[in-house]
Amino acid sequence: MSDKPQQSSTVTLTLDGNEISVPRGSTLIEAAEQAGVRVPHYCYHPGLSSPAMCRLCLVEVEGAPKLQPSCVTMAQDGQTVHTNSQEARKQRQGVLEFYLVNHPLDCPICDQSGECKLQDYVFAEGRKHGRSQEPKRVFGRDDFGGDVLFYGDRCVMCTRCVRFMDEVAGDPRLTVVERGDRAIIDTFFEEGLSGSPFAGNIVDICPVGALVSKDFLHKARAWDLDHTPSVCTSCSQGCNIQIHTRDNEVQRLKPRENLEVNGFWMCDEGRHNYEWMNSPHRLEVPRVSEVAGESPVAMGWGRALDALLPALREGGPVMAVASPFASNEDLGALAHLVERLGGGDLVFRSPEAETEVVLPGFPQLVRRRDLSPNRTGAELLGFRRVGDAQGQGGLEAAAAHDGILLILGDELRDQEADFGTKARFLVRLGSTASGVEAAHAHLPITTHAEQDGSFANHEGRVQRFWPALKGPGAARPAWMILGTLAARLDPEAMEEGPGSAAEAFHRLVAAHGPFAGMSFDALGTRGVPVSQPAALQGA
Amino acid sequence: MSDARKVPAPGENPGWAGNTGEYQLSESQVRGEDYVGVRPPEGGHAAAAASYPYMLAVKDPDAVLFEGPYEERFHKILTRYPDRRAALLPTLNLAQEVRGHVSPETMDRVADLLELPHAYVRGVATFYTMYNKGPVGRYLIQVCTNISCSLCGGDKVLEAFLEATDTELGETTSDGLFTVTEVECLAACGFPTAVQINSRYFENVVPEAVPAILERLRAEAV
Amino acid sequence: MGYPYSHSSEVPLLSKHFGQPEARTLEGWKARGGYEGLRKALELGREQVIDAVKASGLRGRGGAGFPTGVKWSFMPKDKNKPHFLLCNADESEPGTFKDRELIRWTPHQVIEGCLIGAYAIGAEHCYIYVRGEFFEATQVLAKAIEEVYEAGIAGDDAMGSGERLDVTLHVGAGAYICGEETGLMNSLEGRRGQPRIKPPFPAAVGAFGLPTTINNVETLCAVPHIVVNGGEWYRQWGTEKSPGTKLFCVSGHVQKPGNYELPLGFPLKDLIYDVCGGLAPGRDLKAVIPGGSSVPLLTKDECLPCTLDYEGVVEAGSMLGCASVIVLDDTANVVKQVRRMVQFYAHESCGQCTPCREGTSWMTRILTRIEAGKGLEADLDTLLDLSDQMTGTTICVLSDSAAAPVVSSIGKFKEDYLALIRRGERVGAA
Repeated sequence: MSDKPQQSSTVTLTLDGNEISVPRGSTLIEAAEQAGVRVPHYCYHPGLSSPAMCRLCLVEVEGAPKLQPSCVTMAQDGQTVHTNSQEARKQRQGVLEFYLVNHPLDCPICDQSGECKLQDYVFAEGRKHGRSQEPKRVFGRDDFGGDVLFYGDRCVMCTRCVRFMDEVAGDPRLTVVERGDRAIIDTFFEEGLSGSPFAGNIVDICPVGALVSKDFLHKARAWDLDHTPSVCTSCSQGCNIQIHTRDNEVQRLKPRENLEVNGFWMCDEGRHNYEWMNSPHRLEVPRVSEVAGESPVAMGWGRALDALLPALREGGPVMAVASPFASNEDLGALAHLVERLGGGDLVFRSPEAETEVVLPGFPQLVRRRDLSPNRTGAELLGFRRVGDAQGQGGLEAAAAHDGILLILGDELRDQEADFGTKARFLVRLGSTASGVEAAHAHLPITTHAEQDGSFANHEGRVQRFWPALKGPGAARPAWMILGTLAARLDPEAMEEGPGSAAEAFHRLVAAHGPFAGMSFDALGTRGVPVSQPAALQGA
Repeated sequence: MSDARKVPAPGENPGWAGNTGEYQLSESQVRGEDYVGVRPPEGGHAAAAASYPYMLAVKDPDAVLFEGPYEERFHKILTRYPDRRAALLPTLNLAQEVRGHVSPETMDRVADLLELPHAYVRGVATFYTMYNKGPVGRYLIQVCTNISCSLCGGDKVLEAFLEATDTELGETTSDGLFTVTEVECLAACGFPTAVQINSRYFENVVPEAVPAILERLRAEAV
Repeated sequence: MGYPYSHSSEVPLLSKHFGQPEARTLEGWKARGGYEGLRKALELGREQVIDAVKASGLRGRGGAGFPTGVKWSFMPKDKNKPHFLLCNADESEPGTFKDRELIRWTPHQVIEGCLIGAYAIGAEHCYIYVRGEFFEATQVLAKAIEEVYEAGIAGDDAMGSGERLDVTLHVGAGAYICGEETGLMNSLEGRRGQPRIKPPFPAAVGAFGLPTTINNVETLCAVPHIVVNGGEWYRQWGTEKSPGTKLFCVSGHVQKPGNYELPLGFPLKDLIYDVCGGLAPGRDLKAVIPGGSSVPLLTKDECLPCTLDYEGVVEAGSMLGCASVIVLDDTANVVKQVRRMVQFYAHESCGQCTPCREGTSWMTRILTRIEAGKGLEADLDTLLDLSDQMTGTTICVLSDSAAAPVVSSIGKFKEDYLALIRRGERVGAA
């Protein structure tokens, strides 16, 4: 035992009149945040170092001769801090006026408008009228390459972008050139940012409209966008994202903070992979062949399910080919249906990249070799991976299968046109058309962007997503269709399919050990690791 | 020492090495003829290798960075710092000495030599005003117009240089000899107006002296 | 003695050999008692050297006036990592021109001060950061450095003491802000010369992340004299709180501008009218900037009773800074000169902190407009308000420095502004 008095792990201070306790080592800005007080700031970002240069986050600390930058001043026991005193407010108003001296005030044509921290702060605390009568400094616009455009005149010189590229991306291609009020962000002459796999994040962390996305340029106003929490589907990392939509169309993807998974970041590959969610080429109506040998015809869901059930009840060997892009709930419902049909082989195919791309400053975030969002979920639910690294081949057994063949999602583009003709009964659920037309039933399903559900990422963290779009036509979540079919297999049983994704999830929890004890609600917006990670293959 | 001592008129010192007041000193004594302009290109002792004669008479914008004595000097400089980054300013100085200015290609090369990111080197090079970002004349004439010189006519001296060279600020004469710019305080405030011409300070410069100074430079350039 | 003029009031310690080309060589310097201070310091030991400097009351000559011995005592005593001494020879404050004289006339005095300082704080290595524009002075210093290595005064076994004392010449590249101590450290490390946030302080985390002390050239030059003669000896000049001598750099409208080494506490009036030979015939004193461009202006009435020590100048309404006395007679256009100073700060602002980056250039634009006769009275309120926003709000004090002449000139020479604003009349031509 040490004689030294034990230092408590928290410090207690008075912030804006309230006594608060925060972890020792917190800065004042963090302490304030924990107390629900947001101190305006530009250069501070929780994922980066703090240069304390914007001078906006200065607060009054009793006993200190000057205002203190809250982003680098440590919270200490007994401190009395005022974030909103007259002095602090005067400081903020002064700094905000300085920012506007050379700012072009081009909000009407600026993409950041509506989510701009300069707009917000000036609206809240700025002077009603600026006093500058002098001509403004003009820098103009610069194409930084990749997806990034730079509007120098809107820049507040917080250097978040420079620090991100250096500290997090490990690719220090940005710098401040010149000095004083001639200082500006730039790359090495024409070098630009193209090819830097995480550069898109600088657009997100730019607090103003200086760095904007070319892809999003003049596409939508920030206030017209709906934000839906989701999970990126471009690899098995499971980066938490937001889907921004307008008029039932995805406009852009943005990373969503999750320090366990992706920090504040996502890769550009994932960020820009959303056009498929807006695809107009979708299956919208169930098509089922009611008479053997005849082509499937469009019909409503009631008639379609009624048409399917007799063929399923006939039984026989069963096999299912699923997609690792399907949710746990979808896959769980599929596994359950196969179980009810007497059991059978469950397989999936998934593509892999040749290399991984690590984010050096946040090495938990990796663009994974495994390019599907739910391969881990599929494996935990009893599906077996077949095929090659391109996600092709491996379906010889399925092609030869002469019983019931269920296809979920996989478009089978690599398969021969006669794939499935040997099957006695072939049902395909998909959001898009498949490469083979032999199915007895084509059932339209929603994508993850259109439904509730969850994926298990590469380390078995089960993460929820929410519907950002309305599904087209009669498309329904696969868990709903498969769950209803399973429930109605036995006409006497009077069972019901799951009524919600939550229910579908709880049914799979009950049936699959690795998920034991989990609850859909408890997944929250940050996800929860599976209860038995040891069950992870290859872990 | 009598206070009645004659105060020399500004510019009386014909060498423009500054008013020597009550001291009987020649220009070369003031400047230090045994020291200035005689540093060996390979840098002498490593501790002093960062000092430099600045602009060579003949600049080669495509000179190799570095070879011969300059390569030796570069390696000496590296030995004086705990890391390569710290050698950045001395290395850029050295590059400018041989090439005359710091072009993008020069920054690129220096970044490679010191294993630094290229953008970083650009950020540092543009922070400092002594790196010429483009070619300048054989004589870079920098006139101080800060307060002490300005009080004593610095603006007029600047005008006189621009007029005598028939150039605008920062422009190089067609014969490639002169580029005139304004400069911040040169720390020779007691000798107004202070003018830096390449490595030398010209002090107590008055507008009337400008033609003679240019004549002297032209003569030296031959 | 002062250069290029001297005066009987002077106490030439540091400046004794100005104007003597022979003093530049090691031989010449030794003949003038050179390196006796270092020899004695190595005999005394670190603690005694620091004690002597503490006893002398020597205060930093770079502008802040912090007691040097106390600063040295902040350095950690344990030697489990390297320490550095940085000699700040990035002299750039408008009005200041003493360090160049110290370097070009007495390079060995600078080196000796550096070696003693390095020894005292347990540093094996001293970097002399000389501003890049000092080509001529730097080459004089370079040669002197070679001489001390050749003579074994510096190096692995300095003067046979067994101590390693290295000194390296480092040349800047044109940035006033590198005279700020943490800006200098960044610049030395090969970075943009942007000042750092304190804490951590340099004595804990300085150059290359290691304990570092940074001293002005003139401060270090005083050290050998103090070590040789003792701390009490130094106190025979100056005042109780500001002991010793100081180089006063006088520029502007005086008959004999130059450096004069005078005891601290010397009357400003006598400096101007006696030592410097007064103003040009028929001219009257308008204003004095007593400590370089960063300090408030003094009016004639404020100058007359002012004594030139750290406290005396504060009492008069300004600061001693680095004792750079800029004299403005009644031909001076105060608005123009203030604009010129603020323009300088706008040019030299590193650009990190918003109030400085935007404020210095905005003030320059307002002042330029006023100077052109297009000002409004409301501009003066705006300038004062901006000055307030730029004072005490940034990482370093460059922005405070830009505000000081603006505030003091509007306070003390408002009529000059109003004449331009109301009638477009310029007061003074220079």
